Amino acid sequence: MPQVKIIAKNFMDMVASLPAIKLDMLYRNQFICEAILRSLPPLAKKYVLQMLYIDVPITSKSLQEWVIADGSSKHKVAIDRLIQLRVLEVIDRKKETAYKLNSTFQTNLRKHLINGGILPREPMPSNVTARLPTLEELDAYAHGQWECFLLQLISSGQAERSTSFSSSMMRIFQRGLLRQREKEVPRLTESGFQFLLMDTNAQLWYVIREYISNSEEQGVDQADLIAFLLELSFHTTGEAYSLNTLTDDQRAMIKDLADLGLVKLQQGRKESWFIPTKLATNLSVSLTDSSLRKQGFVVVETNFRLYAYSSSKLHCEILRLFSRVEYQLPNLIVGAITKESLYNAFENGITAEQIITFLQQNAHPRVAEKTPAVPENVTDQIRLWETDLNRVEMTPAHCYDEFPSRDVFEAASDFARVHCGLLWEDPKKMRMVVKAEIHMLMREHLRGNK
Amino acid sequence: MASAPSKLYADDVSLVVVLLDTNPFFWSSSSLSFLQFLSHVLSFLNSILTLNQLNQVVVIATGYNSCDYIFDSSLDLKRSLENGRMPVMCSSLLQKLEEFSFKDEQLSKEEPEGRIKCSLLSGSLSMALCYIQRVFRSGALHPHPRILCLQGSPDGPEQYVAIMNAIFSAQRSVVPIDSCYMGAQNSAFLQQASYITGGVHHKPQNLDGLFQYLMTIFAADLHSRSFLHLPKPVGVDFRASCFCHKNTIDMGYICSVCLSIFCKHHKKCSTCGSVFGQAQSEAASASDKKRKTPET
Repeated sequence: MPQVKIIAKNFMDMVASLPAIKLDMLYRNQFICEAILRSLPPLAKKYVLQMLYIDVPITSKSLQEWVIADGSSKHKVAIDRLIQLRVLEVIDRKKETAYKLNSTFQTNLRKHLINGGILPREPMPSNVTARLPTLEELDAYAHGQWECFLLQLISSGQAERSTSFSSSMMRIFQRGLLRQREKEVPRLTESGFQFLLMDTNAQLWYVIREYISNSEEQGVDQADLIAFLLELSFHTTGEAYSLNTLTDDQRAMIKDLADLGLVKLQQGRKESWFIPTKLATNLSVSLTDSSLRKQGFVVVETNFRLYAYSSSKLHCEILRLFSRVEYQLPNLIVGAITKESLYNAFENGITAEQIITFLQQNAHPRVAEKTPAVPENVTDQIRLWETDLNRVEMTPAHCYDEFPSRDVFEAASDFARVHCGLLWEDPKKMRMVVKAEIHMLMREHLRGNK
Repeated sequence: MASAPSKLYADDVSLVVVLLDTNPFFWSSSSLSFLQFLSHVLSFLNSILTLNQLNQVVVIATGYNSCDYIFDSSLDLKRSLENGRMPVMCSSLLQKLEEFSFKDEQLSKEEPEGRIKCSLLSGSLSMALCYIQRVFRSGALHPHPRILCLQGSPDGPEQYVAIMNAIFSAQRSVVPIDSCYMGAQNSAFLQQASYITGGVHHKPQNLDGLFQYLMTIFAADLHSRSFLHLPKPVGVDFRASCFCHKNTIDMGYICSVCLSIFCKHHKKCSTCGSVFGQAQSEAASASDKKRKTPET
């Protein structure tokens, strides 16, 4: 899904943009080293392992010799990434550049490989935690929590129970996703719709990115948060971990994470603990591109009717963005794609392509087997309706007339043509229309000719 | 068009089945002690698992008389300490290995003396392939599998047929067999295995740096291998073992019907039962007759 990347820029880009000192601090944590290693392109991972036990700097020339000629572009990408994340340190000698692994990173990764990863906290014994939720229950909890959050995000009134995020916090998440005109209900922007189309992991990273950059403003150290999140992703799903092992900042954060469905908080008689859900443990997986497909639920018929087998309010809200929902049964939403509903969507900045990809990606397994998953007449019509709106193209322009002579007119029209600004000309009456962008150039040209 | 559901994870997710040679006859004579060897291998396994969360490692011990699974990362991977000393992963592997070598030793007591001190490579190769087949069939998504043989014992010519069958089935299911040979003279079986399946064969010069060899050559996932300079086969030892006495031979007799190999002339093929002629002229007519009978 290329369009996803536009707004959910890789989380690691954010890590890479941290100042050098903070990055070095991050590398003191073994788990961050591991998470960073996992996020690298395959070739870069290979280099790190290969250089792990080499203490002297390696010249770029000998590094180049590791790959065959075909791989030189991948080699460059890998090296660039490693330097960007400060995993590789560049040492400039007189003639050639040499590379060396970041020493903190190197020692930590060595320790990690020899001793295996050891979490800072042990799971709690089962006699303290009376009954832990099963994995299915935990999944359902995480899913419900996340959906509730999303629903609140796109339309605050719809959610049954609200999360404990303050409205200012919510507004920060909504920034960029919703657009509010004066005295109107906030509307989803183009990127907001794209956000809804993303898979859960990508959405999660987007929200967490916003969360982290916001907490920076409130004086919490960004590096600490990133470290804690990455560490969390290495915990075992379904095990209970005591809250006493956390620092104060982390404890404040874990409440917010519970709202997002990353962890479940439980309280026993004396102690309280948190249980990481799948959403949390998948965090470091999603740093790579391998994401699992969600099960689809939408069936579109050739008569523009739309059946969505879902009981989720969120799905209903998404469908309502571009279709007319006619009735809702306990497990089924029936709607129709109409011209009016689509015009509504287009007005909100949602494009036809986005709607079509949404329908295709969420196609019910029964229809997903067929090609095309969405009937062609429907996709064509959606595209046609979109182009209908763009029948007239507006171009700001200037009209020129009353040229003193034919020569001046022709020179001017040639000049405009060279600058790709000529829209229309009438040689008989010596008039022409030129794009506004080159109006100034035209004026200078005409003045110079006088 | 909407993308077809892919059967594989991302390019660099791998399943590595490591065949560990535990033959005591080899390790008692090796320059590298088994303990050192294990520490190299454990770090290697750790780094494979570190590379990607979805990576999977299976270890099969190849003993003198038997072979068995001793570690599977999909079953027991916990990130915690046991007794505050060793990660659970290492301790469970070592414990299983100990049980295994005890059982293996028990079996060898019943065995008559005089066998070549080879390990049961054919058995562990078959187990590895079975495991991989099960992974192939288990679900929609599975990692890219490959086999890594860490072998030190000499080839056992009596396992020739079984090993070749395993190699060809690996070739058919596109599973590369990498091999790292640590013994004195090079292994023909492993050279052929890597050559036929498109894996990498290497014989480290300096066993003390085994970890670096493992990292540099064998840690590369199948996807990155297409961009890397890896050791190429210099000369592969293609010698076969005869079916009658299990000797390794350069030149021999081949049954024209079933391609069985013999070191001496026989009257009848022991595999398919075809009758061989005696003299040159007789042989020609006999093979003519033989060819005609099945056609009519």
